[in-house]
Amino acid sequence: MDLVLQLLFTGIGIGAVYALVALGFVLIFRATNVVNFAQGEFSMVAAYLMVVCVELGLPYWLSFVIALAGMALIGVIFNLGVYYPLRHRTYLPVIIATIGASILLANSVLAIYGPQPQVLQGWFDTPGIQLGPVYLDSQYLLIIGVTILLVLFNFWFFEKTLLGKKLQATSQDKEMASLLGISVSTMIMITFIYSAVLGGLAGILVAPVLFVSIQMGSTIALKAFAATIIGGFGDVAGAIVGGLALGVIETFGAAYISVPYKDGFAFLVLIAFLVFRPQGIFGERVAEKA
Amino acid sequence: MKLTRREFSAGLAAGLAAPALMRSAWAQGATIKIGMCVPVTGPAAEQGLWAQNGAKLALAAVNKAGGVLGKQVELVIEDDQTTNPGIVLAFSKLAAQSDIVAFLGSIRSTQVQAMAPDVIKVGKPVMIGGTNPDLTHSGNPWLFRFRPNDNYSGRVIADFGVNTLGKKKWAIVHSTDAFGTAGGKALSEALTKLGAPPVLDQGYANQSQDFTPVVLAVKQSGADVLGTYFTFENDLGIFARQLRQLGVNIPWVGSPSVVAVSSTKLAGPALFGTYGVADFAEDSSDAAKAFGKAYRDAYKTAPDNQSAWPYDAITILSAAINKAGSTDPNKIRDAILATQKYAGAEGEYNFDKNGDGLHGYNVVKNDKGKIVYDKHIDFND
Repeated sequence: MDLVLQLLFTGIGIGAVYALVALGFVLIFRATNVVNFAQGEFSMVAAYLMVVCVELGLPYWLSFVIALAGMALIGVIFNLGVYYPLRHRTYLPVIIATIGASILLANSVLAIYGPQPQVLQGWFDTPGIQLGPVYLDSQYLLIIGVTILLVLFNFWFFEKTLLGKKLQATSQDKEMASLLGISVSTMIMITFIYSAVLGGLAGILVAPVLFVSIQMGSTIALKAFAATIIGGFGDVAGAIVGGLALGVIETFGAAYISVPYKDGFAFLVLIAFLVFRPQGIFGERVAEKA
Repeated sequence: MKLTRREFSAGLAAGLAAPALMRSAWAQGATIKIGMCVPVTGPAAEQGLWAQNGAKLALAAVNKAGGVLGKQVELVIEDDQTTNPGIVLAFSKLAAQSDIVAFLGSIRSTQVQAMAPDVIKVGKPVMIGGTNPDLTHSGNPWLFRFRPNDNYSGRVIADFGVNTLGKKKWAIVHSTDAFGTAGGKALSEALTKLGAPPVLDQGYANQSQDFTPVVLAVKQSGADVLGTYFTFENDLGIFARQLRQLGVNIPWVGSPSVVAVSSTKLAGPALFGTYGVADFAEDSSDAAKAFGKAYRDAYKTAPDNQSAWPYDAITILSAAINKAGSTDPNKIRDAILATQKYAGAEGEYNFDKNGDGLHGYNVVKNDKGKIVYDKHIDFND
């Protein structure tokens, strides 16, 4: 039982990381109908920004704010440089452009900061809490907490605010939205900024656990992408549930079946979904929307 | 004589071009070229940089001492992207340059394995750092190893843990790549020979984000000592921290990555008190100390095996070409194999017929973040 609880906690923790990155995938997909393959690199860039600020001696909270502001700026540049020029083309050139952008981001950081992985201290001084037989890593607790908050925030933002509704309208039908006086390009700009900040947040939160390295983004993004498909592409709740499910499944699969095939379980679940339920867990709601 | 305008232009052009043409003609035979496949990008870009540092340090010394065959030595670097296809491509790019006389390959066994068939085709000496024993034992005459192979690391880990620490219940954790699998197997065999077969033999895939299942398996096995073969320092750092968080504090004797510079930095206190076998230990010999000092002076940071083996490889290779008196691959091969009792940064080189230069390991300890030399264990076979 102790073992199960420990595994469950870790699974949810790592799953929450996937969920955060998956959320970024989903938001951009809903707004633009393309998958942004640079989403993982957003996480990596934010973690490096954070490391640089902390090394400069800035307080942790200020570094955090600067890193997220930097991500907002990158979201703007990304939208103007990668998406906007190709917005009237089919989805394929845009997707390839995002892959190109992800390679550019990774190698830019490599060129500027060098290849050495870095250590980023966690938000809390205590590394974790021993709760009975289960050890709760404080950084994972924070990640889970932030994920819950973000789910609530997203619900409130998209369902209760005018801006959120405008964003939803844009993602559902761009022509109709623009007929109603909504500036589609502004809405898409906001979506890119929000996704970059979300991806950045995930990167900063996960950095103390996984260390800060050039390839940290791509490993997480691959799983997050799988989580997005499992949850149902284009659904916010789906991204969260898909991420958490993936984290728990691979952790238990590793513990009870085979550690070397841990990544295999994640992708086996992905394949099963693609074959038997390609629309994902929450697929039907998306179909209704469309 | 009246000079026409056309003649004047032609003469001017020839006059301007001559120095450049002469320079390029001179340059073709002016240097001895050594190719180096090294990660400039990818997960091991960090270690790749250190490898380049080590090689360049040796190169500077060789050139200062007069170079090779009276010429300066030049290093031609090609990015292997830390992947198997990457190194095959990098090697074929380098091999296409016919004036390259020898090569430095990878420290990663998997990559050496990937490039090995091309090495036979090219038929020129390749210095390697990969420690999978099979690399030099499968009939490839062109691979020369500048680190002790894992037959030795497994035996040293087992010998130290069983005889010095007195521990008999072993848990082995190893990567499932070529390096980790061979290392885990060598350790397991060595332990079985010493009458202490492992109670747990646990593989993991590289670039894992979480090691909780592995740590819990170690915990449940009831082992009183841990032996590891980790390929990437990132993985090792995450594993070490989770190991301590989940309350596993048994002695730990690991492969060289446990005592590598970046692991020590990433994992911090989680690695305090661990033992590692290290092919490079700065305090193990005068040659290692001298290398350490030169490296610190040049790069303001501590060296480790990633930079020590390319340093030795360039030094011994240059000496071998000088001794051979020619860049003929077969003569260079004979000269490398004839290298005996050479004190390098990594230890004393006594090349055997397989192309293995070193036959033992140092045992070092992480003493509160400082790597301290403990003892050297050498084998005669």
